[in-house]
Amino acid sequence: MLSIILLRLKKLKGEYYVFLIMTALSLVLAFIFSSAYNSDYTPMVLIVNNDDSAYSQKAIDELVNSDTFNYKIVSYDKATEEVRKGSALAAIVIKENFGESIDNNNTPTLGIIKTKNDRDIMVLQSIMNSITSKMISNIKIAQNTADYIGEITDANKDELFKKAYDNAVKGWKYQKTININVSTLEADTELYYDNTIHSIIGFSLFFSMYTIVFAIGEILNDRKYRTWQRILVSPISKTSMLGGNLVVSFLVGVVQIVILFAASQFLFGVDYGSNFAALATILIVFIFTVTSLGLFLSGIVKNHAQLSALTPIVLTSTAMLGGTMWPLEIVNSDIILGLANITPQKWAIQGVKALAVYNEGFEGIVTPAIVLLGMGLVFFGLGVKLVKYD
Amino acid sequence: MSLLKVNNLKKYFKEVKAVNGITFDVKKGEVFGLLGPNGAGKSTTISMISTLFNPTSGEITYNGESIVEKPKAIQQKLGVVPQEIALYPTLSGLENLKFWGHAYGLRGSELNKRIEDISQVIGIKDRLKDKIEKYSGGMKRRINIGAALLHKPDLLIMDEPTVGIDPQSRNHILDTVLKLNEEGMTIIYTSHYMEEVEYLCSRISIMDMGEIIASGTQEELVDIIKGQKKINIKLDHVDDTLISIIKTIEYVEKVETHENEMILTTQNGENIFKDLISKTAETESNILSIDIKKPNLEAVFLHLTGKALRD
Ligand SMILES: Nc1ncnc2c1ncn2[C@@H]1O[C@H](COP(=O)(O)OP(=O)(O)OP(=O)(O)O)[C@@H](O)[C@H]1O
Ligand SMILES: [Mg+2]
Repeated sequence: MLSIILLRLKKLKGEYYVFLIMTALSLVLAFIFSSAYNSDYTPMVLIVNNDDSAYSQKAIDELVNSDTFNYKIVSYDKATEEVRKGSALAAIVIKENFGESIDNNNTPTLGIIKTKNDRDIMVLQSIMNSITSKMISNIKIAQNTADYIGEITDANKDELFKKAYDNAVKGWKYQKTININVSTLEADTELYYDNTIHSIIGFSLFFSMYTIVFAIGEILNDRKYRTWQRILVSPISKTSMLGGNLVVSFLVGVVQIVILFAASQFLFGVDYGSNFAALATILIVFIFTVTSLGLFLSGIVKNHAQLSALTPIVLTSTAMLGGTMWPLEIVNSDIILGLANITPQKWAIQGVKALAVYNEGFEGIVTPAIVLLGMGLVFFGLGVKLVKYD
Repeated sequence: MSLLKVNNLKKYFKEVKAVNGITFDVKKGEVFGLLGPNGAGKSTTISMISTLFNPTSGEITYNGESIVEKPKAIQQKLGVVPQEIALYPTLSGLENLKFWGHAYGLRGSELNKRIEDISQVIGIKDRLKDKIEKYSGGMKRRINIGAALLHKPDLLIMDEPTVGIDPQSRNHILDTVLKLNEEGMTIIYTSHYMEEVEYLCSRISIMDMGEIIASGTQEELVDIIKGQKKINIKLDHVDDTLISIIKTIEYVEKVETHENEMILTTQNGENIFKDLISKTAETESNILSIDIKKPNLEAVFLHLTGKALRD
C-alpha cells in the first residue's frame, strides 16, 4: 500500500497546479457570488397607470417612496417590451377600476408583469401587498373620519378626507406594524452575512468534490497506461492498490478543504463557530463520502474521458439540488427539497451551517454526519464491486 | 526439471476462444518460445500465467503449486514485460523504476543499487531523469523491460518485447535476453518474428488460433518437414516449357515463379541438382544461380497451417 501512496504523491507533485487552480477558482467564485447579494445595483420597476383616480396617484407615491427599487411610469406596451427584454425587473399595472374598487369597498387589484421568479420579485410583491393594504387602511380611516366629522360639523367632507388621509399616512411613518414583512426582506445586512457564508461553504464543498473525485479517478488513467494490469501481476494486492488510492484521494480532499476553510476564515472573516471537533467531524465524513462517490463513479465508467464527462453533470446537478449554489431556504418546490435530501451537499452544508451560522454544537451535526456516512458506505460498497480488475 | 506447467488451459471471451486447450511446460533455465501470428492467443496465455486473467478452465502450476488457486505463489518470482508499454508517462524513467522496484519489495540502498545495475543492462543511464513521455519508442521499451528485472525474477515473461523498434535497440534486447538466461534466469519469449525465436529459444511451441499446433526444439520442429527444402533458381528467362519440364523432376513438389526466378519446394532433394541442370540444358533457358534455403520455422508454420506467419 505504501508503494501506491508514494506513487500517487509523486504524481500529484507534478500536477499540483491543477489543485491550486481549483482552490483559487473556488475562492474567487465564492467571493463573486457572495458579493452579488450585496451589490449597489437597484433594479428598475415600471409602473403602468390605467386608472386616473386620486387613489392610484397615492399608490404610486407610496411605491416611489420605498427606495428598494427605481420606478418609472410608462405605457403598457413599453412596459411589456422592456420587461421581456430584461431591461426592467417587472412592471406593476394599476387596473382602470383601481379607484372605483376602493370606493365600492372591493379589494383593488394590482397586476404584475414579470419574466422570472427571484428574490427581487418576491421583495417587490411583498412591497406591493404592504403598500396597497396600508393605503386601503388609510383611505378607510380617512373616509370614516371625514364622514363622522362631516356629520357633526358643517365642514367640507373632501377637505376633511384629505386632511385625515395625510394624517393617517404620517401616522404610519413611526409605526412599522403593517410592513414587517417588507422590512424583513429589506434587512439586507443580516441576509448578506448569511449569504456570504453560504456561498463560501457551498463553493468550497462544490470544488473540493471535483478535486476528490478526479483524484480517485486516477485509477482509470492507470488502466489507460496499463500500469493497472502491471500492478495486478505484482505482489501488490488489490486491496492495497485500491486502499492506497483511496487514502491519497482522501488526503487530497482534506488538504483542499483545510485550505479553503482556512482561507475563508482569514480572507472573508467567516466564523465557523467554536466547536472545532464538530467541524472537523462533519468535514471528514463529507470527504469520505465524496471519495466513495468518486470510486463509485470511476466504477461505472469505462475510462477517464467518460469520467470527465460524467463528473460535471453529477456534481453540478447535485450541487444545484443540494443548495451549494443558493440557499435551500429560497426554494419552494417540495420535489426539489425532497430530492435535495439524497445529495451529500445538502447534508454537508446543513452540518457546517449549524456550526457557523446557528452556533450549534455537536448536536447540530449528528444527523448530517450519520446521513453522509450512510451514503458514503453505500457508494463505497458499490464502488468496490464495480471496479474492473482486468 | 519443469518450473512451469500449463495443462489443458482455456480462456474464452464470450464466443471468442482466445486460448483453447493448450498444454506445455517450461524447464528451469531455458528460453522457451511461444511463436504465433497475431491473435494466436499468446498474450492471453501470458495474462493467465501472470495471474491477471483467471482461466476459463485448465491448470497452471509454478514449482508444483497451482497459481490459479494461489496467485501469490508466482507473483514475487515473476517478471513480466507486457506487450504494450506499461509505465507512468508523466514520471521520469528513474521514478518509474523506483516504483516498480518498490512494488516488488525493494527498498533504500538495495533499490538504488538494482536501478543502477539494470540501467546498465538496458543501456539507459543518461536520460533516466527525463519523463517517459519524452522518450523514444525504443527507450520506452527498454525501461518497460528494466522494470521487470529489478527484483531478479526467477521467471521472466517477455511478450513481443521488440515490436516497433529500431534494429539497434532490437539487437540490444535480444542480447540482453541471452545474457540474463546465461545468468540463470528462465525466460518465456513470445514473438511472431521467427528469426528471434530461432535465435533465442531452446524449445518452442507454435500457436495458432488458440491452440498449440507443434512443440519441441528447433530441430524437432524442422524435422516435421523432414528433408523439405526450398531451392531458388535464377535464370536468364523463364517460360512454360521450362516450368513443365522442371515439374517432371522426381521429388519436386511445387514450382512457383517470380519473373526470372523459380522457387522449388522439394522433398529429399540430395540428388536433385544433376537432374535440374541437365533438364534445364534441354531448354533455351540458362541457370544464373542456385540458392538452397535451409528449412526454418516459417516453413514449418506454413506447412502446418497453410498460411504465412506474417502477412
Ligand atoms: N479482453 C478480451 N476480450 C475479448 N477478446 C479478447 C480479449 N483479449 C484478447 N481477445 C481475443 O483473443 C484472441 C487472442 O488474442 P491475444 O492478444 O492473446 O493474441 P496474441 O497472440 O497475443 O496476438 P498479437 O501477436 O497480436 O499480440 C484475439 O482474437 C483477441 O481478439
Ligand atoms: Mg499479444
